[in-house]
Amino acid sequence: MTTDIGSDQSQEFVTFSIVDQLFGIPVLQVQDILRTHRITRIPLAPPEIAGSLNLRGRIVTAIDVRRRLGLARGDQDNCLSIVTEYDGELYSLMVDSVGEVLALDPSQFEDNPATLDPTFKTYSEGIYRLNDQLLVVLDVERLLDYGQRRAASA
Amino acid sequence: MDDLLKEFVTETAESLAELDGEIIKLEKNPNDQDLLGNIFRLVHTIKGTCGFLGLPRLESVAHAGENVLGKVRDGELEVGPEAVTLILQCLDQIRTLLDILEQTEAEPEGSDQELIDALNALADGGAPVIPCAPAAPAASQIQEISQAQEGEAAAPDATLDELEAAFANAKGPEELAAQAGTPAAAEPAPPASPPAPAAASDGTEPSRRKESVANQSIRVNVDVLEDLMTMASELVLTRNQLLQILRDQKESEFAAPLQRLNYVVSELQEGVMATRMQPIGNAWAKLPRIIRDLSNELGKDIQLEMKGAETELDRQVLELIKDPLTHMVRNSADHGLEMPADRMAHGKPETGTITLAAYHEGGHIIIQISDDGRGLNIQAIKEKCIANGLATEAELAGLSEQQIQQYIFKPGFSTAAAVTAVSGRGVGMDVVRTNIEKIGGTIELNSTAGVGTNVVIKIPLTLAIVSALIVESGGERFAIPQLSVIELVRASSRTEHAIERINGTPVLRLRNRLLPLVNLSELMELRPPVVSEAGEGGPIGEQGPIDDNGDRDLTGEKDPAGDENLADDKELFIVVAQIGAYSMGIIVDRVFDTEEIVVKPVAPILRDLKLFSGNTILGDGSVVMILDPNGIAAATGEIAMTNDASDAQDERALSQSNGKVSMLVFRAVDDTPKAVPLELIARLEEVDLEKVENSGGTYVVQYRGQLMPLVCMDPNKVLADNGMQSVLVFSDKDRSMGLVVDEVIDIVEDHLSVEIGSACDGYMGTAVIDGKATDVIDTGYYLNLAFSDWFDGTDSMLTAGNGKDGRPRLLLVDDSHFFRNMLQPLLSVAGYEVVTTESAAYALDMCHAGEMFDVIVSDIEMPEMNGFDFAREVKKERRWAETPLVALSSHTSPADMKQGREVGFDDYVAKNDRDAILLALRETLTEQRGAA
Repeated sequence: MTTDIGSDQSQEFVTFSIVDQLFGIPVLQVQDILRTHRITRIPLAPPEIAGSLNLRGRIVTAIDVRRRLGLARGDQDNCLSIVTEYDGELYSLMVDSVGEVLALDPSQFEDNPATLDPTFKTYSEGIYRLNDQLLVVLDVERLLDYGQRRAASA
Repeated sequence: MDDLLKEFVTETAESLAELDGEIIKLEKNPNDQDLLGNIFRLVHTIKGTCGFLGLPRLESVAHAGENVLGKVRDGELEVGPEAVTLILQCLDQIRTLLDILEQTEAEPEGSDQELIDALNALADGGAPVIPCAPAAPAASQIQEISQAQEGEAAAPDATLDELEAAFANAKGPEELAAQAGTPAAAEPAPPASPPAPAAASDGTEPSRRKESVANQSIRVNVDVLEDLMTMASELVLTRNQLLQILRDQKESEFAAPLQRLNYVVSELQEGVMATRMQPIGNAWAKLPRIIRDLSNELGKDIQLEMKGAETELDRQVLELIKDPLTHMVRNSADHGLEMPADRMAHGKPETGTITLAAYHEGGHIIIQISDDGRGLNIQAIKEKCIANGLATEAELAGLSEQQIQQYIFKPGFSTAAAVTAVSGRGVGMDVVRTNIEKIGGTIELNSTAGVGTNVVIKIPLTLAIVSALIVESGGERFAIPQLSVIELVRASSRTEHAIERINGTPVLRLRNRLLPLVNLSELMELRPPVVSEAGEGGPIGEQGPIDDNGDRDLTGEKDPAGDENLADDKELFIVVAQIGAYSMGIIVDRVFDTEEIVVKPVAPILRDLKLFSGNTILGDGSVVMILDPNGIAAATGEIAMTNDASDAQDERALSQSNGKVSMLVFRAVDDTPKAVPLELIARLEEVDLEKVENSGGTYVVQYRGQLMPLVCMDPNKVLADNGMQSVLVFSDKDRSMGLVVDEVIDIVEDHLSVEIGSACDGYMGTAVIDGKATDVIDTGYYLNLAFSDWFDGTDSMLTAGNGKDGRPRLLLVDDSHFFRNMLQPLLSVAGYEVVTTESAAYALDMCHAGEMFDVIVSDIEMPEMNGFDFAREVKKERRWAETPLVALSSHTSPADMKQGREVGFDDYVAKNDRDAILLALRETLTEQRGAA
């Protein structure tokens, strides 16, 4: 799932925002965009796991991206979800709003600023300088890699 | 490979597998026309397809076989063992040719003349000439044949003509098909036979087999089915949305058609779900053939019984267990069953029986493979273990038979003394076990010498359909596997089933037993959805169920809402669940219906949550978590569900004939659970730490108008300044002592045997209580600690203990080590010099040795000589006849007491009533002195 940053081709990103910050995920990693869905809570699960839902007969684990990024929880009733597959499992990433698909020029890409918040740094692949704002490329793999997190925190 | 050819190979392989089984049935019921018809049709199909694809060699073999079968069907030929063997050989040959065909995409060179001749001879009514040894399948034959002269290649054609002529007399397949009521056009569609990896037959399988009607199955790609399933689920969701809209609109012309749609969609979903499942009989299809071959090869009479072949399990699991099952059946036949002569000698029927049984239980599929053979040879296993270096003789000596039997699952172990062709293939039971454990199953083996061996394979519900009870707790629904649910109890203060509490721990009286309860919403840290707490720090709108996820960090704190949940006037449901030998009540808010669910594993990031065994999508399209009763039991910290623990419990149950002891289990000092007999505790209290004072290095608290010392098990522990502290109150006469504990866990009724003594002060040792190693507290030590401190640290009154300072000398006779240890300090503290002994016989020895006591306290229930007999003996002894006797017993019915008095006891008190014991002793002694 490596996003081929640094190649000359421009890449397409699905953009979304969380707390007014623009994020992007490579369009090829996105399977679906969902409106509110009935979510089943999972007791005792980590706080950022909002629950699970049924997407066409498959059970999808809903991740509250706000919580995962260490932000306050958002309005879960009006959020949108981006469905992505990681390691054979489906996850829906709950975000505030989903924007358009942008084709971005690699020349606009930059590594994470050294002073970035550590949580953000963990899940950000880098930053695109758009004309009017900055776009954080979300590293879906890291975001969903709980095994690593467990190992690191243990 | 050509698609057509590929399909042919798969189909034919399946047909052959089915034929194996059918022909063996035929041998038993030679006159079963339906069976014959089916066999004939299968062979004919193979032959016909071969002809169509231009595979002359295969065709000729199949044709010869068909010819024989045709004669049999028409009653011109009788089915005998030789004929069956020959037909099976014919099938084997077809299989061999097919294998080569699959690899090389072409028929091998050579001829099968020998076999064809034999078949023809049989068809002509001649004595069958079996061309090869029955046990040598065509694998070697094919080599011989391929080496045969090419000149013979023309020969088959000539024979073929003859055969065709002979066959012309027989009924054609079209006629047969017509008989069976199947359109002839269906003929080329081959049977989707049992082990088909891509078969979709399933549901219709058993009935079809019984009736032996022409096959009604078709072949469908699994992906197509999976897609269908997905689509059906989506349809369900859409339907649900429509129904929701309908509910909002009272009057709608869509109502009727929507109800109809609702019904159809449900049916559709069920139908599609059914395609995932296959009867386990599919995995057994090959076994009759294997057993028949083994029977011949080993010279044993073997009967294979199969029960529950219709038990359905997921196609995927089916594939995975097929080989282990085959291996174990082979093992049973080879090692398990004796030779007929041996069986006769042991008074068993000559025919050995291997039984396969499958059924659903406790959310698992259980497969039993049992035989009535000789059982495992423990001695042989021991020798093998030692020879293979798996264990030393000393280690084995300490093991039970059951434990020794488990060695056959160790890698590198092969039971057969001589490796036979049948089961000694380098695949041991260890591989079987590994394969089963790979899919999350367990395998258990039980063997009794001379009676047989029974292997139980338990495959978890993962991937399988189970019936589950849907319950609600804290606004969330959960599924509990139906089979671990024993009963449902409705609890409220208005019914006879009211939830009672011991220090906040809920329990339920159920048929004169205390049932430990666990509140699901507390366990899950869920709050009822109506209670939403402010101050989360998020925008409005976060309410209800979703709100609670963030609060789960506050683990350990009692959830006030959860407690409210148990308010007495509220009606609650208790799901009584059975976990092994342990039962437990799970408190839930509501109970819905039962539902058939397909268990799906949870996402990897949730695998750590042991309370769930999976999740599933309910009929209404919502996702629910499936509770794992084992996990719940483990989470309540009460029981360990390992086999070892239950074994240990069993052993203790055997070794100790005493009744169970109620123990209060608590946590203090460290994480190891601590226990103390409940009888010794006067009360459980929560003390306000603000009221605790430190007086001369001792914590004291005002309690019931008196100062009560608080003793910490950890002498260095410093109590907090405020908050509440759990305390176990031990009372002795008018004095009380509080033992500071971190948390009261539960009350457990179990056999108590201290297995490891302790060198530490304050501990009697370690016992296994409810499957967990638990430190048993020496209450006497702490009483001593409190009281000695209480009496200005001078314990002169207590330390003397030689009877010389005028203290009454007391003999305590009790077989229970625990009670002796328990009572001795108590009695010492009360001012007696205590001598203990574990049996009446030893006590009488002391009497003979000239020991004198002021009072004798004796248990009643003792092995060998009980308390009554002991009292009679004592009264006979001149020396002790006048010594007062006090009986201690857990049975204090008037009848018991009467008997006690009759045999000479001066007083009779309940074992658990310490105050009464002390009082009785005091009174007895006073009377004695008064009388003297």
